[in-house]
Amino acid sequence: MVPTMRRDHFNSQSFGSPLNTMVKEARILMVGAGGIGCELLKNLVLTGFGEIHIVDLDTIDLSNLNRQFLFRHEHIKKSKALVAKEAAHAFNPRVKLEAHHANIKDPQFNVRWFKGFTMVFNALDNLEARRHVNKMCLAAEVPLIESGTTGFNGQVQVIKKGVTACYDCAPKETPKSFPVCTIRSTPSQPIHCIVWGKSYLLSEVFGTSEDESVEMDHSEDSENAKEIEKLRQESQALKNIKESMGTPSFPQLLFDKVYHDDVVRLRSMEEMWKTRRPPEALSYASIIEQAAETEISKEKVLKDGQRVWNLHENVVVFKDSLERLSRRFEEMKSSKSNGNSAEPTITFDKDDEDTLDFVTASANLRSLVFGIETKSRFDIKQMAGNIIPAIATTNAIVAGLCVLESFKVLRGEVSATKEVFLSPFAPERLLSSDRYRAPNPDCPVCSVAQVQLLVDMSRATLNDLVEDFLRLELGYGEEIVVNHGDSLLYDVEETDNLTKKLGELGIKSDSFLTVIDEDDENPKGPRVNLVLSVQESETLGDKPIKGVDLPASAVTENDAPASPILRKKKPSQPSNGTYGTVAATTTNGNLTVSNGTKRLFSEVEEGSSPKRVKLATNGDGSNDNAIVIDDGAIVIDD
Amino acid sequence: MTAVITDQAPPILKGPSDKEKKYDRQLRLWAASGQQALEDAHILLLNSGAGTVGVETLKNLVLPGIGKFTIADNATVKHADLGVNFFLDEDCLGKPRSECCVKLLQELNPDVKGDWFPREKGESLESLFGHGHNFTLIMYSLPIEAESLALVQKYAEKNQVPLLSIHSAGFYSYFRIHLPGTFPIVDTHPESTATTDLRLLTPWPELSKFAADVTADIENQSAHEHGHIPYVALLLHYLGKWKDIHGSLPSTYKEKTAFRDTVSAGARRDNPEGGEENFDEATAAVLKTISAPSLASSVKEVFDYKPSEVEASSSFWVITDAIKQFYGKHNALPLPGSVPDMKAQSTIYVQLQNIYKAKARRDISEVLEIVRAHPSGKDVEVAEIETFSKNAAFIKLIRGIDSTPPSIQTIASQEFENDKTAELTMMPLSLLPIYLSLNATSHLPSASSSDILATVGKDVLGASDNQRLVEAAEEVARAKGGELHNISALTGGMVAQEVIKIITKQYIPIDNTCVFDGIISRAQVLRI
Ligand SMILES: [Zn+2]
Repeated sequence: MVPTMRRDHFNSQSFGSPLNTMVKEARILMVGAGGIGCELLKNLVLTGFGEIHIVDLDTIDLSNLNRQFLFRHEHIKKSKALVAKEAAHAFNPRVKLEAHHANIKDPQFNVRWFKGFTMVFNALDNLEARRHVNKMCLAAEVPLIESGTTGFNGQVQVIKKGVTACYDCAPKETPKSFPVCTIRSTPSQPIHCIVWGKSYLLSEVFGTSEDESVEMDHSEDSENAKEIEKLRQESQALKNIKESMGTPSFPQLLFDKVYHDDVVRLRSMEEMWKTRRPPEALSYASIIEQAAETEISKEKVLKDGQRVWNLHENVVVFKDSLERLSRRFEEMKSSKSNGNSAEPTITFDKDDEDTLDFVTASANLRSLVFGIETKSRFDIKQMAGNIIPAIATTNAIVAGLCVLESFKVLRGEVSATKEVFLSPFAPERLLSSDRYRAPNPDCPVCSVAQVQLLVDMSRATLNDLVEDFLRLELGYGEEIVVNHGDSLLYDVEETDNLTKKLGELGIKSDSFLTVIDEDDENPKGPRVNLVLSVQESETLGDKPIKGVDLPASAVTENDAPASPILRKKKPSQPSNGTYGTVAATTTNGNLTVSNGTKRLFSEVEEGSSPKRVKLATNGDGSNDNAIVIDDGAIVIDD
Repeated sequence: MTAVITDQAPPILKGPSDKEKKYDRQLRLWAASGQQALEDAHILLLNSGAGTVGVETLKNLVLPGIGKFTIADNATVKHADLGVNFFLDEDCLGKPRSECCVKLLQELNPDVKGDWFPREKGESLESLFGHGHNFTLIMYSLPIEAESLALVQKYAEKNQVPLLSIHSAGFYSYFRIHLPGTFPIVDTHPESTATTDLRLLTPWPELSKFAADVTADIENQSAHEHGHIPYVALLLHYLGKWKDIHGSLPSTYKEKTAFRDTVSAGARRDNPEGGEENFDEATAAVLKTISAPSLASSVKEVFDYKPSEVEASSSFWVITDAIKQFYGKHNALPLPGSVPDMKAQSTIYVQLQNIYKAKARRDISEVLEIVRAHPSGKDVEVAEIETFSKNAAFIKLIRGIDSTPPSIQTIASQEFENDKTAELTMMPLSLLPIYLSLNATSHLPSASSSDILATVGKDVLGASDNQRLVEAAEEVARAKGGELHNISALTGGMVAQEVIKIITKQYIPIDNTCVFDGIISRAQVLRI
């Protein structure tokens, strides 16, 4: 008779007692319950981790089921976080699990909340959230295990403030954009027509205006002022046609507008077509007549997404998908009538059949107008949705590697952690690993000083912050810039806000402010950027602003008073000089080579261009999320 | 808490089939043909030992939609199983492990069929193999009883079925692929940058004429025209000029860099941009595209291989034979026919694309003709010939296990010799000790480190004196045959990836053993 072995028999045997205890006592935060998240949660639960919190905003989609094995068909449209929790709980009822169907950027998940965890795992699919968790973990000084996959490739990295490089130490590539005129007037590649269908036509008809799309680059607008004005008129005329949505003539009106009238106008600009093939206008009435037979077999066409559709098939799909979207739009409108005045919108989602069909057909029709190669829906889905393939095997490997790195973190051996890459096509090794990278001294996210600020919101003005705290207490000079997210609060020329209270400027608990020293005169260089995290407090003494845990001013400077905020050491050379070369991997949103120039915190934070935006003092504090990154652009594994 | 579960029912699906939507993300890796191969496959797992790594592997095959799987396992479910195997729950205690795992695995994907063995107590493994199943691939987890192993090896040998062994214990694991005979792969998925084949040194008449046309009177072309000459035409133009002066085409590195300078000098710089993008593209392409086509060693290996009589009539070898004849005649492989993106007017670019496509079609029809003349070439599908012709430069042959493999002693001497200079060469240490220690427990649930070293010592001289072998043996002994879920899950991911490569006959599987060390998160591939 074999004695009955305990459930964690194998674990305690191989881990040894100290690690097994550390695992049981750990409090884990897992951000993301998608492809990597499902695997990770299973591994964490069966490794015996004592308490796991799961945060995910997403709901389950059919295209998740080929790898996100905690979910079934009946879970479609339900919360990933909650379903994952239920599934994992069944397998080890002794683990304490908590699920949040919420955005990790929500204010409830503040620095204090992050501090409550032993370790954080990122199992995310987008750059924006990754950057946010990276920033929060640095601020809370909690180790972060970051991972990502792309097809057969994957990557795992441990991030610990002051020891390893952070997620933003190597700059990331931003989504590709095209000049407006290429998209609107002179397309020459399938992608130009796809962007037109997705970011112009679909959003003009069912959503917001194209001006907000990151795929359209307006930087050359001034050079083409006349053409831009024409295009604006075209968009306006399109808005008028929108009025007839829901009527039987709508498809024809829209079609003839964009594939006939606009094309005829474009063609009349003869100088444009001297060296290009001029576009050929299409006429709805004659094509739809010829397409009568195709229309009968419409369902068959819609099922055949791998084949390239012909003109008739594209027109039929154009009409059908437009009608489907119109019906949905009307329904959204009528169900929203209870007091909510905002127009509903339908935006492109690669897994939303109606929008995909519409973008496929309208892009292909435009390609036919301009003599460009047409594409199958399968291919257009990939190009429009920036789909990065995701499979179970890679997720399984990456999640396993994450847990192995977590053991080193638990043992306090961060210096033993590795950056591990899956390189499945290197025949002599499926995995390769590098020593962790040291922080990039030019990194605007982790190579900054951080100070927690207690603020009496009823009293504190921007002047209290700039004059009393920054200049008198911390020793800053004249040349400083204070930013709140992407917005400029203060610089030498922007002094209007000084008398305003911080609350009026949209600042509240858990806001982050960045102080940039632009004093280039000092021989030791300007100070590193200072990030202030705001905490509201009502029990302060005579001063309405107080710094917590100010770094001891170890270095006394000539320009008294001494400042605890270090100056940049220059010239700065990364210790192993690999911030660009590590980028060879394709995961985590394609890294690019660092040019080593100084970047602003806000630029990295929001992925936008490094311009300073003047603050609209609406006082609602909503500018934290002012810039929205196109969610289709950087998706890695949803 | 903002927790909300919407009670909305799943939407009614229209458009592409449910299946196409579910598999959308993976179809982009192995296409419909690979998916079909997966759905046609029947995989057998012979499960033994702690029994997790094989089931984790199956999970990663059930999810992408393998056609059918069978688990053969004699064990009944115990408490310790629950702590390591995700596909067992409390209700399974005391029941057959095979049946319970199959049922829970099947829940992952209703499109997949699952079966288990034995159906009745005491049924012998022989009867499973006698059932007339056609297994596409067989995996077995270690440790395994010697008799069972002999049976499965015999079956695999007789039916030419790929066989995978998997061993996971404590922080260590390895898996090994035994492919029957030779394993040819056409669709190796080379990197897209490697596939550009422009034939600039051996242009055909249509291409030469095109280049001459678009570069005619190049000095006097308008800024727009000049700035939009596709770089392929630019390079052909300057190659012609070079040949007029030097009598031959640039061949050495020095000549090529000199040639690159002449191309670069042709750009007009008196414009606001201070240069021309098409000339930049041309300059950048010189070193990569101006080189005589040479046959990759992997293709040579395929050409040199003498297929057996049975093999020779298979479509792969019939097409290979035709491509070889084609190569003999033209000293070049069939043209793939794709043209990379480049700065050009769209009409001109389309024209250029058509010239390459037309040549590729001509090459394919020539290959097709040779195939049809072959005694076994009547029924070879045109699509297969097309795919083969396009991929001809990247075909690959994986040999099975040699009939006289190098002895473990030879491999060990080599690996340990390398380790001596590892510090100097900055190479990581060999993971062979892990393989040897695990392999020593292939038929034992657990063993002491001295037992392990004694077994290894039968094949490898001085095993007990090798410090790294001693450490590996101690670690294996410490695991007492137990699996760590995390290590088995990770290993299951790697094994499933190789299984997918083998079944889809796409990508190149490892050759032939992968050893994983979970203490340092490192893997090594060895040919054993
Ligand atoms: Zn950093």
